[in-house]
Amino acid sequence: MFEKSLLRLFGLFVLSLALAGAQALTPAHYLSLPDVARLQNLLSQQFTGLDSAYYSVVGLSKLGATIPDHEGVCQFLKSQLDPMSIDSLFFAAETSQAISGCEIPVSNETRDILLAAVSEDSTMTQIHRAVSALSSLGLPLASQEVVGALTGRINKEDNVMAITLALQTAARLSQQTELGGILEEIEDLTARLDDLGGIYLQFEEGLEATALFVTAAYSLSDHVDMEPPLKEDQVIQLVNSIFSKKSWDSLAEAFSVASAAAALSNNRFHVPVIVSALGPATVSHSQPTLQLLVTDVMSQPLALANVLVESAYSVASKSVILSHASFTLNDGVFELNFMSSRPASGYYQFAVAVTGDTRLVGNHVELKVKVSTEVVVNNMDLSVVDKDQSIGTKTTRVDYPSKGKSSFTADSHQNFAMAFQLVDVNTGVELTPHQTFVKLHNQKTGQEVVFVAEPDSKNLYKFELDIGERKSEFNSISGTYSLHLIVGDATLENPILWNVADVVLKFVDEEAPVAIQPKTLYVPKPEIQHLFREPEKKPPTVVSNTFTALILSPLLLLLILWLKLGANISNFSFTPSTILFHVGHAAMLGLMYVYWTHLNMFQTLKYLAIIGSVTFLAGNRMLAQIAVKRYVP
Amino acid sequence: MSNSVISVISRFLEEYTTTTPNKLKVVDSYLFYILLTGALQFLYCLLVGTFPFNSFLSGFISCVGAFILGVCLRIQINPQNKGDFLSISPERAFADFLFAHTVLHLVVMNFIG
Repeated sequence: MFEKSLLRLFGLFVLSLALAGAQALTPAHYLSLPDVARLQNLLSQQFTGLDSAYYSVVGLSKLGATIPDHEGVCQFLKSQLDPMSIDSLFFAAETSQAISGCEIPVSNETRDILLAAVSEDSTMTQIHRAVSALSSLGLPLASQEVVGALTGRINKEDNVMAITLALQTAARLSQQTELGGILEEIEDLTARLDDLGGIYLQFEEGLEATALFVTAAYSLSDHVDMEPPLKEDQVIQLVNSIFSKKSWDSLAEAFSVASAAAALSNNRFHVPVIVSALGPATVSHSQPTLQLLVTDVMSQPLALANVLVESAYSVASKSVILSHASFTLNDGVFELNFMSSRPASGYYQFAVAVTGDTRLVGNHVELKVKVSTEVVVNNMDLSVVDKDQSIGTKTTRVDYPSKGKSSFTADSHQNFAMAFQLVDVNTGVELTPHQTFVKLHNQKTGQEVVFVAEPDSKNLYKFELDIGERKSEFNSISGTYSLHLIVGDATLENPILWNVADVVLKFVDEEAPVAIQPKTLYVPKPEIQHLFREPEKKPPTVVSNTFTALILSPLLLLLILWLKLGANISNFSFTPSTILFHVGHAAMLGLMYVYWTHLNMFQTLKYLAIIGSVTFLAGNRMLAQIAVKRYVP
Repeated sequence: MSNSVISVISRFLEEYTTTTPNKLKVVDSYLFYILLTGALQFLYCLLVGTFPFNSFLSGFISCVGAFILGVCLRIQINPQNKGDFLSISPERAFADFLFAHTVLHLVVMNFIG
C-alpha cells in the first residue's frame, strides 16, 4: 500500500520534471522580407537553359512573385525544347504550367517516349520527370503502373533523393490510386533526419534534400488529405534547418528553398507561425503600444489570426501585470497598449499565443519587453558638515538642471554631503537606477575621481565625502573641483550628466600640483634584447690536444709491457671460426665507432644483434677448440 | 718506518714477479694501462674543468668498468681459484668478459655525446 503510493509519487515527480524540461520550441530562422527579395533576385537571373528557366520561373511562382514577359519565356521554352529528351520535356512542361497561355506542342512520339519511361528499369529521376511531364501536358497516364514502378524503384534506389522524388511523383497521380505504401515512406524518411542540438533537423545529404523532402511530403499529404507524421517540434526544427542559410549556392538550391517556403506557408496541416516585434520590443510613455508582426515563414501576414497575451509578468518582482489581453490588428500589425496597465519601468516576460487556425505550429512565443521611462532629480541638497559637530552648517538646494550659484568650500576637518531623490517623471515613483555616480573633476590638472552614491531604505540617495579620509584619491591636490552627477540605466530614456556645483577642496600637506599624465599604457615599451645562452667556455685546443696525446700514451706502455712479458699470438690457428670470430669482433668495435658518429640506438642494436650472434657462434666454436686443445686428462 | 715500507714493497714485487703466471701478468699489465688512462682523464677534469661533463663521465666510467671486468677475468682465470669456479672454464670467463664489454661499450658510446 505504502509502496504503491510511493511509486505513484515518483511517477508524478518524473512527469513534472519532463514537462518542466519540455520548452515549446519556436522557429529561430525564417525568410524575412529582405531574404525573400534576395531569393527572388537569385531566381530572376537570365536563363542559360531549360533547367535554369524551370528553376527560375517555377521558383518565382512559388514565392508568389510575378514573372515578367510570359511571351518571351514561352518562346524560349519552345525554341530550346528537344522533344526526344525526357528531361527537356519535363522542364518545358512544368515551366509552361507556371505561366499563362503557353502550350507545348505534343506529338504521339513524345507521348510514347514519356509512357515508356514509366517502368521499373528507368531511374527514379526519369520516372518522376516523365510522370510530371505527362501530367502537365494533359496526357493520360496509368496511375497503377506508376505506383508499381515507383515501389519497385524505391527498393533498388534506397536513398533520400530518390524516395523524395517518389513522393513528389505520387502527388501527381489520380486521387483514387492506392498510395498507402508510398505514404509510409514519409515516416521512414523522417526517421533518417539528423537532430542537431534539438534545434535543427536535416538530412546529411544537405539543405536541398531537406527542403525538397518537406515540399514532397506536404504535397503528397495534401493530395491524399492525410496529416503527415511530423510532430510540431520536428516541423519547427525543419524550418530552422531550411531557412538558416541566407545565401544560396545554386539555382537548384534556391528553388528547393522557395518550394519549401511555399509548402510550409500553404498546406492543409502545419503552418509554422513567426512572431517578431516591429523594431525594439520597448514601450514608454511616448511609445505606449507594443507592435508585433505575425507572419508565416515567408514573412507574409497570416490571413486569420488572433494574437493574445496569455500572461505578462515582471522579471524583477515576478508579479503578473496582464492576463489574457488581446492584440488589435491595425494595418497588418498587431498592437497592444501596454502602458495602459501602468507598468513600472523594467523588463517584462510576455507569453504570447496566436490562435485562429488549427494548422498553426509554434504559436506559443515568449517575448521579453522593456518598459522605459524618464527620470528627474528631486530635492538635491548639498551641505558642508563639520566632523566634530554633527550640525550641518548650511544646506543649499540646487534645482536640476541648473548649477549651484556659489561654490562650496571644504577642508580636511569637514565632510561634504549630498542628498537627492531620483523619481520617475510619469508615475512619481522613486527609482534606483544601475548607475548613480558622483564625479569630481579637477579643472586645472584634469584629474577625475568618481564615487558611487547609494540609496538608503527609503530610496533616498545620500553621498558623503570625508575630505580627510579620501585625500589619497585626490593626491592631496587642493583646488576647484567641478561636481557632476551621472545617472544611467537600460530602462532610462534620459541619462543624466549634471554639473551640480563647484567644490573647493583644501588639503593639508599639499604636494606641488603636478599635471597628471595619462597613464602610459599604450605607448611602445622598451625593447627587450634576448640574451641567448652563452656557449660554455671551452679550453684552448692546445690543452685538449695535449691531453688527448697523454691519454693515448698508456696504450704504448701496455704494448711495451706485453712485449716484455712475451705475450704472443703463436697459438693462432687459422680455422674458419677463429677468423670469423676476429672479423666479427672487429666489426662490433667498428660498429661502436659508427654508432658514435652516425647511428641511433635502435639501428645500432639491430646491427649489433646480427654481428653479435655471428661473433658469438664463431667465438663459441673457437673457444671450445682452444679448451679441447688445453685439456690434458 | 719508511724502511719497512720499502722492504715490504720490494718483497712484494719480488714475489709477484716470481710466483705469478705469465697469463696473469698479461692481464695485470692491461689493468695497469686502464688505471693510468682513467687517472689521466680524472687529472684533466681536475685541471681544465668538466666542460662536456657527459663526455668526461662516459670516459671515466668506461675505464672504471673495464677495470672491474678485467679484475673479474683475472679472478676467474687464476688457477689458484679453480676451486671456486668449477663450472667456469677460462674460455667461458673470457666469453663473459667480451659480452660484458659489449654492453659497457654500448652504454659508453651512447653517453659520450
